[in-house]
Amino acid sequence: MRELIKSWKTVPSLAVLAGLFVAPLSLLFVVSFWSKKLFRVVPDFVFDGYQKALVSYWDVGLNTLAIAISTGIITTTIAFFFAFFIRFKAGRYGDILLFISLVTLFGGYLVKIYAWKSILGLEGILNTALIGLGIVSEPLGALLYNRGSVATALTHFLLPIAVLPIVASMRNIQDITLEAGRDLGAGPVRILLGVVLPQCRAGIIAAFAFSFLIAAGDYITPLFLGGTDGAMIGMFIASQFSIRFDWPLGSAMAFLTMFSCLTVVLIARLAIVRGRK
Amino acid sequence: MNRSSEWGWWGFGTLVVVFMTTPLILVVLFSFGESALTNFPMGGITGKWYDELFANREFWKAFRNSLTIAGVVVVVSTGIGTMAALTLARMRPTLSQPLLIALCLPVMMPPLVIAIALLVYYVRWVGVELSLFTVILGHLLVTQPFVILIVYARMATFNYELIDSARDLGANSWITFLTVTLPIIRSTVIGAALIALAVSLDEFLITFFTISGGNTLPTFVFGKIRTEMDPTINAIATILLVLTVSSTIIAMKVSRYRA
Repeated sequence: MRELIKSWKTVPSLAVLAGLFVAPLSLLFVVSFWSKKLFRVVPDFVFDGYQKALVSYWDVGLNTLAIAISTGIITTTIAFFFAFFIRFKAGRYGDILLFISLVTLFGGYLVKIYAWKSILGLEGILNTALIGLGIVSEPLGALLYNRGSVATALTHFLLPIAVLPIVASMRNIQDITLEAGRDLGAGPVRILLGVVLPQCRAGIIAAFAFSFLIAAGDYITPLFLGGTDGAMIGMFIASQFSIRFDWPLGSAMAFLTMFSCLTVVLIARLAIVRGRK
Repeated sequence: MNRSSEWGWWGFGTLVVVFMTTPLILVVLFSFGESALTNFPMGGITGKWYDELFANREFWKAFRNSLTIAGVVVVVSTGIGTMAALTLARMRPTLSQPLLIALCLPVMMPPLVIAIALLVYYVRWVGVELSLFTVILGHLLVTQPFVILIVYARMATFNYELIDSARDLGANSWITFLTVTLPIIRSTVIGAALIALAVSLDEFLITFFTISGGNTLPTFVFGKIRTEMDPTINAIATILLVLTVSSTIIAMKVSRYRA
């Protein structure tokens, strides 16, 4: 009790959390059961929003999960090897590499999307380079506006976020464990997968969860780089609030997406923990 | 065999670094290029995109809005976040851990969901007019977790005996905070404030949904990417990049010296 009285200094932060997070999200959840009558959204208790979301947007939903899961897996895999390189191979350059990852983490979300649009476009940098090198004779249209371009830009954006938790969990692994493995005759692959991997599961789970969740919830990347093939659910959620004003449908889509994403994260967590055996 | 695997690792590491940095380097490079297309050959070196940008009144409005929002957010977020972190650091872990996780939830949630939830909340429940003020509130929510985490981590190695001695010598809790605690953790607090600055300057989705009229730098860039691929985007992008990256770099330099 005395501890609670002394903790008044956490009140402003908790007030921000309660007033600007808990309350708005609760309201959004309530709104997902409201109904839309002509041009007005009225309080109600119906499942219209959820029904419409499942019927009309299941394909976009699945596409979103496919893109987000592949982005999550690719990002986590690259991040794992890169973290291993930083921790065990790069020596004194490790800190600089970590520093570079941190700097790119906060460097311009929209700037990165714009950069990828200029690189992958029909008259973009990559096409010009390929033509210049004589590898192709005509610009490749397939570089932009598909799942691949969305996954590439998302991986670029998420890589630093995924590297950090894995490097943090590798900090706890002693060099001597690796040497012991080597002395006992384990090859490099065996050491990586049998010694290092099991000891940084927590970091790997965090990296996958972060990169998957952010990818699934993103909507600007698919909006600019996705075309119809790479369309993701966030675009349709956003449009219910900016153009169509169907709040119940938009909120229902948001909660269904979050629910499916949490399920994926729990399954992935189970798979990684089970991998121990 | 050992040597070739070393080379393999360095090759892989270099590739990853190139992948992470090239897109950003290209943007900066093209902002100084003569060519109107964001492509090679970029032509001679020129400052004309910057001149064009600086002559645009909309850019200055967006710039001013971004700085106003970020200024208020940094001060308030660092203040309340530091207060919370200092208190959390002295609590029992059974009490502080759940609170810490709860306070950090907003950064684990997709920003789009927070953005639409705030929009509905402001418009339908609170009935407040959308403005820079509503944007500031949203930014407080997503910046304070960074401040709390950074300051909380610093307090793990803090020597609390110093505070006890100050109290024994008769200083009240404010004097103790100002003359003992704050000077010791000053660099960490500055680092946290700069990270909050970078997050606020770069925040797009919550701003976009809760600003109504007007622009910040990110929403200004969004409008430009959407309508035309105009070469001044490279210039704004570079300015935005310099602002966020330099505050991140300074933040890490400052907090590393003491850590």
